[in-house]
Amino acid sequence: MSFGTALLRALRSTYTLGGPGKHAVETAHTRLIVTSAFFALAFGAIGVRLADVTLFPHANDTRKARAARPEKLDRADIVDRNGLLVATSIQTASAHANPKEISDPAGVARKLASVLPDIDEKQIRERLAAPERSFVYIRRNVTPRQQYEINRLGIPGIQFQQEDRRLYPQGRLLAHVLGFSDVDSNGLAGVEKGLNERLRAGGEPVALSIDTRIQHILRQELDAAMQKFQAIGAAGIVMDIYTGEVLGMISMPDFDPTNLGGSPDDARFNRITLGVYEMGSTFKIFNTAMALDYGTVSVNGGYDAARPISIGRFTIKDDHPIPRWLSVPEIFMYSSNIGSIKMAQDVGVQGQRAFLDKLGLLTPPKFEVPEIGRPQVPQPWRPINLMTIAFGHGISVSALQMAGAAASVMNGGFYVRPTLIKHEEGAIIQGTRVMSAKTSDTMRKLMRLVVTGGTARKAEVPGYLIGGKTGTAEKIGARGGYRKNANITSLVAGFPMHNPRYLVIAMLDEPKGLKETYNFSTSGWNAAPTGGKIIARIGPLLGVEPYDANAPDVKAALAVDLAGTGPRVAKPTPQATPAAAALQAPPASAPMAVRAPSPQASARPAPLPVSPTGGSNLAAR
Amino acid sequence: MSFGLNRHELSLGQKLWQVNWGIVLILTALACIGFAMLYSAAGGAMEPWAQRQMLRFALGFCIMIVVAVIDIRFWMRWAYVLYAGTLVMLVAVELQGRVGMGAQRWLDFGFVQLQPSELMKIMLVLVLAKHFHSIPLERMGRISAWGPPALLLAVPVALVAKQPDLGTSLMLIMGSAAVAFAAGMRWWKFALAIIGAAAAAPVAWNFLRDYQKERILTFMDPSRDPLGAGYHITQSKIALGSGGLTGKGFLLGTQSHLNFLPEKQTDFIYTMFAEEFGMVGAMTLLALYALLILYGFAIALRASTQFGRLVAVGIVTHLFLSVFINCAMVMGMIPAKGVPLPMISYGGSSMLVTMLGFGLLMMVWVHRDTQFSRGGLQDSD
Repeated sequence: MSFGTALLRALRSTYTLGGPGKHAVETAHTRLIVTSAFFALAFGAIGVRLADVTLFPHANDTRKARAARPEKLDRADIVDRNGLLVATSIQTASAHANPKEISDPAGVARKLASVLPDIDEKQIRERLAAPERSFVYIRRNVTPRQQYEINRLGIPGIQFQQEDRRLYPQGRLLAHVLGFSDVDSNGLAGVEKGLNERLRAGGEPVALSIDTRIQHILRQELDAAMQKFQAIGAAGIVMDIYTGEVLGMISMPDFDPTNLGGSPDDARFNRITLGVYEMGSTFKIFNTAMALDYGTVSVNGGYDAARPISIGRFTIKDDHPIPRWLSVPEIFMYSSNIGSIKMAQDVGVQGQRAFLDKLGLLTPPKFEVPEIGRPQVPQPWRPINLMTIAFGHGISVSALQMAGAAASVMNGGFYVRPTLIKHEEGAIIQGTRVMSAKTSDTMRKLMRLVVTGGTARKAEVPGYLIGGKTGTAEKIGARGGYRKNANITSLVAGFPMHNPRYLVIAMLDEPKGLKETYNFSTSGWNAAPTGGKIIARIGPLLGVEPYDANAPDVKAALAVDLAGTGPRVAKPTPQATPAAAALQAPPASAPMAVRAPSPQASARPAPLPVSPTGGSNLAAR
Repeated sequence: MSFGLNRHELSLGQKLWQVNWGIVLILTALACIGFAMLYSAAGGAMEPWAQRQMLRFALGFCIMIVVAVIDIRFWMRWAYVLYAGTLVMLVAVELQGRVGMGAQRWLDFGFVQLQPSELMKIMLVLVLAKHFHSIPLERMGRISAWGPPALLLAVPVALVAKQPDLGTSLMLIMGSAAVAFAAGMRWWKFALAIIGAAAAAPVAWNFLRDYQKERILTFMDPSRDPLGAGYHITQSKIALGSGGLTGKGFLLGTQSHLNFLPEKQTDFIYTMFAEEFGMVGAMTLLALYALLILYGFAIALRASTQFGRLVAVGIVTHLFLSVFINCAMVMGMIPAKGVPLPMISYGGSSMLVTMLGFGLLMMVWVHRDTQFSRGGLQDSD
């Protein structure tokens, strides 16, 4: 019987019957028709909705889904500048339970403890016995073997969910760069936190500016120095002064990012970015550059350093007093506090503050790790601050800020923001002119002078024409006041100084005096040789050719007249206005192969000091 | 009472001839769509879903035909026993959970795991149909008419809600309401029930479990739970949209195959189908279900006994509810709820219970002219 006939018959039956039966069937049929009409309406609504979602784009939904990716989506990998994997994620299982489905928490906890020896049975029992909860973790990131064992127990109500576990193939090596993330794949420190959003979005790996090989050398040398000088900490940074790319960044002690509990809390303290210190004499780099750039003194000028200077109840002396008139190169080379103060006094408070601000020393820098220390800057800035800042006291900055500022002194006078992200080849780097190219050129010569004849002689490595400045700052004690023999020693260096490309900072926290250093614990005895050792090893790796320091061209480029022209009256000139300028990034560090020094290389005439754009010539050479 | 046109008893051959093969054809077509989608969900493999689903269909097919040829008076006579048996199973599931073998909604019969709550949908329809069959329309207002059904409904609803499975208990209520409505329950009773439910909603809210509240809140605002249910629905809508008019083609649904879509072999299989076959395919599938429902109503209209009519209405209502709730859920029209798509979603209980239901529907058709008294225990003449 066909469907149509059935329907007709059914309808006919509604009026062919009589009596109460007719009424009942009529009612039943009315109700059926009402019900079917309701169903038809509901289906119609579904049809309309179906057409709506399939035929019309819902951009809003796509955006929402992007914003809310599931945990299943892998956190992006992190690689170093050469593509070496330094952070990745693997899928693991996490065991969880619904306490509502567990009727015997004690027994279940006991069984679980038998296959997971490292869990706290009592704690698990309490978790499982919480009837108001419907989800508790038993153990995050179990091994496949443990998962198998738990399944074998056959406890209903225990389930697994897939999760990401973060792995750091290089272990501790990049601990302070990468930081770490929690079990929910949220970055909690370092680049993992600083770039959390980008990493969570998954996709392409994030390429860091770090070169793992340089990172390794830096760590090895700092670790060795820390052991040798019995320091409580050490830190170092290697940076490309033209691009601001950080090639290596180490803070010791460090930690194992996959086993945070195994390291003391202070191991997570980043001495490069978070620690702010009174840098001491390395600040004279900026003080000298400032005076030269304002023109309050010329490189041939000088000051009388015969008598100590009194500030209130303090008297400022030189560590190695040379009681006579000193030329600017001599003040820098001998690290004369008296000469430095006089230089700063000619510039004045306003000029000093403006200059240091341009170099990024007064504000917290923007960087890819969130652990950024706020510089301690005098407020208000009095003439006494002017004087102490001249030799690096009364102002605390981070090594990262030092790196950015010192790079601009060496690279021709442009401030480039330090970064942990690799620049694409040929990328335009935005730099801000903060001093004249002439000032930068003079400072290169003066920094070289410190290594050839000043306090940083132990940093010298034949062929690499290192220039730099040492600094020893006494640490401030718990009760205020400086602690004798508790020093932060540092070396800020660049190389090769006639046309520098790379900056190295080496810092030691509370190094001790040794017999071989004649019980001295100042930077010239520890930070300087450490910096030299680092450069000796990274130089070849960075493709920097050794130069003959006695070649006429090199000599000419780095020649400094120590004698000066004697006392003179300085006349302030209008300061150079900062100008924004675009720097062409050198075509990456293409020549990365280790090259042995060749006689031809040393005999070849060295290039003359170059303008910022000349950075590209270096690599092209 | 008699309509005077009583048929002689049917032989087995006649009954088989009377089986509504149109319905069988549509059901088989739906099941085949299901096999294809499970094959696709597994990335183009019979394992782990398609093959098992085929076995279940074969089993369900046999059950369906057997049920269809069993006399309607048998079902009426044994309705309460079947209901009681299912109730025992529901209690057994509840006890199983208590004695520490884990909270399970299903009983394991070795070859198939059965959810008694699914089976209860059918059995409740049977007992309610039997009850209302014995009540003449003019006595529908008395407490003897609506009291027992209320009790018959309340016990399983309470047991299922306690599992906790709020969705299925709501479906039990709605299916029973449809049967009672078709039986001629007074309009105002339904109006009162709806108003009462609306008034009680804020009170009931306090009795909901946290995850149930969360589901409702998430439905109101999917961004509340971007990684959970809200995320699933959003992904489902994206997959539906990416299918477009004609779909991406069989085995080519990227959203589902790349695991953006959760539970693609069960609750979200409709989304996957719509992604691969587009709006045209999805509408065709809806049309097949609509055709089944239409058949059900035709059978209900044609049935000469109240029992047969109400059984048909109940079965059809449950089919409609499952289809509607599943489709509306994947399109974000109602809160996320684990209701499978009948005949297509992977799952033994759903498939077997659906086919049992259609067996009963065809049984009503086969015995459309069989007459019996209000007691249903013997022929009226």
